[in-house]
Amino acid sequence: MSSGAATIRRAAVTDPTHRTESASQSRIRTVGAGKRYGDFQVFRDVDLEVGAREVVALVGPSGCGKTTLLRCIDGLLPISDGEILIEGARVTEPRAGVAMVFQHFGLFPWKTVFDNVAYGLRLAGAAKADIAEKVPHFINMVGLKGFEKVYPYQMSGGMQQRCGLARALAVEPKVLLMDEPFAAVDAQTREILQLELLSIWEMRPTTMLFVTHSIEEAVLMGDRVVVLKGRPSTVHEVIEVDLPHPRTRETLTLPRFAELREIVWNTLKDEARQAEFELEKGR
Amino acid sequence: MATGESWRIRYLPPAISLIAGAALWQWVGSQTSAAFLSTFSATVARLVALTVSGEVVTALAESMTLFFTGLVIAILIAVPLGVMLARFRVLRVASETYIMMLYATPMAALIPFILSLMGFGFTPKVVVVVLFAMFPILYNTIEGARSVKPELIEVARSYRSSEWGLWRDVLIPYTLPFALTGIRQGIGRGLVGMIAAEFYLSASGIGRLITVSERDFDTAGVLASIIIISILGAALMAVGRRLENHFAAWRGLGR
Ligand SMILES: Nc1ncnc2c1ncn2[C@@H]1O[C@H](COP(=O)(O)OP(=O)(O)OP(=O)(O)O)[C@@H](O)[C@H]1O
Ligand SMILES: [Mg+2]
Repeated sequence: MSSGAATIRRAAVTDPTHRTESASQSRIRTVGAGKRYGDFQVFRDVDLEVGAREVVALVGPSGCGKTTLLRCIDGLLPISDGEILIEGARVTEPRAGVAMVFQHFGLFPWKTVFDNVAYGLRLAGAAKADIAEKVPHFINMVGLKGFEKVYPYQMSGGMQQRCGLARALAVEPKVLLMDEPFAAVDAQTREILQLELLSIWEMRPTTMLFVTHSIEEAVLMGDRVVVLKGRPSTVHEVIEVDLPHPRTRETLTLPRFAELREIVWNTLKDEARQAEFELEKGR
Repeated sequence: MATGESWRIRYLPPAISLIAGAALWQWVGSQTSAAFLSTFSATVARLVALTVSGEVVTALAESMTLFFTGLVIAILIAVPLGVMLARFRVLRVASETYIMMLYATPMAALIPFILSLMGFGFTPKVVVVVLFAMFPILYNTIEGARSVKPELIEVARSYRSSEWGLWRDVLIPYTLPFALTGIRQGIGRGLVGMIAAEFYLSASGIGRLITVSERDFDTAGVLASIIIISILGAALMAVGRRLENHFAAWRGLGR
């Protein structure tokens, strides 16, 4: 914050909120991570570190492998090269304390909102009293109060997405991975949820890594914005977001917010142009 | 107004067609020898007499014990087996041909074989009902379990579900409506199996009622027994349909 200039650093930036650079300090660490589907290389040489109390936004053009990377970090997919560590331990399968919000929501259609939100807690063996207390709490938090007994097919896409978010929050994970968590909600609800999530984070700071297509969202919520780009993609740029905490609605009005938004936009622009160009050519 | 309209459409045509059918039967019956076809009224009278004498109740109790024992065993075998075959590809590929062949085989052809193998008694009859009822259930369950959304399996894995948890929370609820479609078909086939077993293996229940009536040239008795089975079949199918709708409600297709 001392210098007004944009702080752009190349890949592998260490957690700015902690001075120590030891690997054990970062909750999530990927080292030269690469993923191939047969001959198709999705991403390569991804070096990424997310500190224990850090929020990192992952942006990049559609199809660049953001979801794939999140799946690998969650332990749902094995990586092809390099390694992924959570709290210093190599990820080989899904771990306790790591929760994912899915781009496809992944709600169980035969379970009510209540039972969907309770799913993670029940699998973790939470006590009945615990479930009875926490589930309504998180349902309220995402604004689904009164919909406890409703089934997913009776809800809009945005409501389903919020239900998926509540399910992940309910297990109070140490690491929260979110794949476009607000993509299906309207602009106003989106802002409410962003600020809600930020206040949850202020109360109980954890590690958050989230994918978004919204530059505003990335800058508002992230301590850093990681840009994934190229074919195969890799970490193209890491932009430090030196906006003060706590982030609130006022943050959106800061001149620095506008500056950072421009910076992220410019790093993404070329790729967007190229994609547009390819579309034109394809016609 | 609208409800009155739908009520008329729902109940009036079937009622008229049933009355017309009974009238036609009555007329044709009155024109033919009673040894071939009894009239509608004679059949109903016989049905009442058989009910009053308690023969129907005894026969139904025997038949239903056989039928439900067979159906429950068929479900207990076919549903878990179906989910398992869908989940483990090797097993499925290995057994696919057998299942297709058995599904297509008219099970009645196996009855003499079962007779020579197991003789008379309750068990071989149950085996016949199981064989008749099992394959539609198995087939539909496999189809259902194969179409489970991979995203939901992914969610279960992400939350570190055990294999049993995956079955309980994902595979079984997802497959249930499909299995119930199979069970509804299995009910129809199982009834055929029940009658076949009661005819060809040791005589019992409704099957014996038909055989005995036939031997006595009691045409009205034969027709009365057939009506019992028809009503029974229709009622069981309706129950199956209800269950199917109930468990498929989450698909958003139900009411
Ligand atoms: N199972 C798979 N087999 C083969 N290719 C795959 C598979 N899953 C994903 N891909 C490919 O990997 C690439 C990255 O997919 P991914 O879903 O990670 O993209 P994304 O960055 O999340 O895109 P979006 O922003 O549209 O969600 C895509 O080109 C996709 O076609
Ligand atoms: Mg994606």
